[in-house]
Amino acid sequence: MKQALIIALFALFTALLPLIIGEENPYIIGIMISVLMMAALSSAWNIIGGFAGQFSFGHAAYFGAGAYTTLILISSFELNPLIGAAAGMVVAALIALVTGSIVFGLRGHYFALASIAVAEIIRLSVLNFEFTGGAQGILLANVTLWGLDLNSKTPFYYGMLLLLIVTLTVTEYLRKSKTGYYLQAIREDQDAASSLGINLALYKNRALLISALLTSIAGSLYALYIRFIDTSAVLDLRLSIEIILTAIIGGVGTLWGPVLGALLLVPLAEALRSNMIGDALVKFGLVSETSSVGIFLNENLAHAHVLVYGIITVLCILYLPKGILGLFRRVK
Amino acid sequence: MLFLQALVSGILSGGVYALAGIGMSLVFGVMNISNFAHGDLMMLGMYLAYFAFTLLHIDPYLALLLIIPVSFLFGFILEKVFIHRVIDHPHQNQILLTIGLGLIMSNTALLAFTSDPKILTTTYSSSAINTASGLSISVPLLLSFVITSVITAVLYLFLAKSSTGMALRATSQNREAAQLMGINVAKMSAIAFGIGTALAATAGALIAPTYYIHPLAGHSFLLKSFTICVLGGLGSVVGAGVGGIIIGVVESMAATYISTDWKDVVVFVLFLTVLLFRPQGLFGKKGGQ
Repeated sequence: MKQALIIALFALFTALLPLIIGEENPYIIGIMISVLMMAALSSAWNIIGGFAGQFSFGHAAYFGAGAYTTLILISSFELNPLIGAAAGMVVAALIALVTGSIVFGLRGHYFALASIAVAEIIRLSVLNFEFTGGAQGILLANVTLWGLDLNSKTPFYYGMLLLLIVTLTVTEYLRKSKTGYYLQAIREDQDAASSLGINLALYKNRALLISALLTSIAGSLYALYIRFIDTSAVLDLRLSIEIILTAIIGGVGTLWGPVLGALLLVPLAEALRSNMIGDALVKFGLVSETSSVGIFLNENLAHAHVLVYGIITVLCILYLPKGILGLFRRVK
Repeated sequence: MLFLQALVSGILSGGVYALAGIGMSLVFGVMNISNFAHGDLMMLGMYLAYFAFTLLHIDPYLALLLIIPVSFLFGFILEKVFIHRVIDHPHQNQILLTIGLGLIMSNTALLAFTSDPKILTTTYSSSAINTASGLSISVPLLLSFVITSVITAVLYLFLAKSSTGMALRATSQNREAAQLMGINVAKMSAIAFGIGTALAATAGALIAPTYYIHPLAGHSFLLKSFTICVLGGLGSVVGAGVGGIIIGVVESMAATYISTDWKDVVVFVLFLTVLLFRPQGLFGKKGGQ
C-alpha cells in the first residue's frame, strides 16, 4: 500500500513536471525526455534480458528500425507519422523473428553473439544503402500530426512517459502471466524448463518480439523528436550496451530497476557531457580553471562519460551484481 | 588472375585474424568466458607497436619481443584482479565485465591518445613483391603472415608437448577433473588469459603498419574474432587458426567481387549461416552448447 502511494505520487509528479518547469526551461525537459526514453528502452530490454535471461546485445537494431522506417516513410512518401511508426514495428518484428529463429535453438554465448551480428549487419547495410541516407543520415525539417505542431518538446515528453507506462504495465502483466512464469523458469534452468514441456524457442521468441516492438516505438518517437538520425545515433553497438548497463545498474529482472538505472545514469552522462562536474570543481575553488588540471578536465571530461560507464559496470558486476535494487532485497 | 590475387591477399591477412581468433578461442576453451575486451587488447597492441616505433625507434615486428611479454603480464594481472572473480558467474556477468573493462581501455586510450588516427609508416609499409605471373604481394602482410605462422607453431608445440600446455588442455577439456588431478586451474586460467592477451596484442602490433591506429579500432576485430571462433568451433585452437584464414579469404573475395563497403556484412552473414547450419563450428564435435 505504502509502495503504491509512493509510485502514485511519483507518477503524478512526473506527469505534472512540464507544467511546473514550463516551456522556458527546455534543457531540463530535454534531459527528462532522455531519462524517460532510456527507462522505457531498458525496461523493454528487461523483458527478454531480465525475465527470460537472454541477453540481447543488439537492441539498437530495433530502435534503429523504428527510427529509420518512420523518417524514411515521412520524408520520401509524406506518410502520417503514425503509419511510419507502425511500419517500424513491422520491420522490428521481422528482425526479431529472424534473429530468434536463428539462435533460440542454441544457448549460452550464442544469442549474445548473434544479436550483435544481426545488429551490425543492419547498421552496415543502412550505412551502405542510398535510400537510408547512408553516412549522412536523414534530416527532417518539421513534422505535423493532424495539424498538430510537433516541434515543441512537451508532446514527446508525454509520448515517452506513455511508452514507459505501457512498457512497465506489459512487464508487470507478463510477470504474473503463464508466459512470465515460463520465461523465468527458462532463465533459471533451461533444461529443467524444457523437460517440463516448455517450448523454449516459442517463449523466447515471444519475449523478444514484445521487447522489439516496444523498442521500435521508442525509436520512432526519438526520430520524430530529434528529426535527425544517422547510424551512429540510432544503430550503434554503444546504444545497445547503454540500454543493458542501465538495466544492470538499476537491477536486472526487476520492474523498477531499469527506471532507477535511467534516473541515475542519464543525468550523470549529461553532467559529464556538459562538463558540469568540471565547472563545479572550479566554482568551489578545488581546481583552478587555468591550472593544467583545470584545462585537462575542461577538455576531456566531456568525452569521459563512456569511461565512467565502463568503471561503473565493472564495479557493479563485481560488487553489486543484482544492481542497486538488489541492495534492498539482500534478505529474502 | 584477379581471383588468385584476392586469394593470396586473403590468406595473408587471414593469418593475423587467425592469431586474434586463437587467442580468444584459448581463453574460451580454458575459462569458458567470451572475452569482449579482446578487440581492445588488440588496440593496445597497436599502440604499443606505434610507441615502440615512434619513441624507441624499434621496428614494429622486432618490438614483438617486447610486446609479447608485456601484454602477457598485463593479461595475467587482468585475470588475477578482475576476471577470475566472475569465472563461476552466469555468462551475462562475464560478458558485461569484459565489456566494462574494454570500455575502460578504449576510452582511456581516447583520453590519452586523442581520437586522431595514428599511422605507423615503416620503410616497407607500402612496398610489395611483384611475381613474374603478375601477382602483387604486400611486404608487411607477408612478413606478418610468416611471424604469425611461427608463433602459431610455437604455441601448438607448447600446448602439445610442455607440461603447462597439457595442463591447459586438460583444464579446457574438464575443469573439475583437471582440478581433481592436482592441476592448479586458477593459475591455468591466468596463464590462458595472459596468452590470449599476448596473441591479441601481437595481432594488433602486426596490423599496425597497414592499418589506422585508433582507440576504437578494436571494435570491428572483436566481432571478427568471434566469427572466427564460432567458425572453428568455440574453444578449438586449430579450428580458430583455419577459421581465421577462411575469414581472411572470404573478406578479400567479398571486397574484390562485391565491394569493400560490404565485406564486413558478408563476414557477419557467414557467421549467422554457420550458427544456423553448423553451430558446433567446422571442426567442433560437441553439440550446440
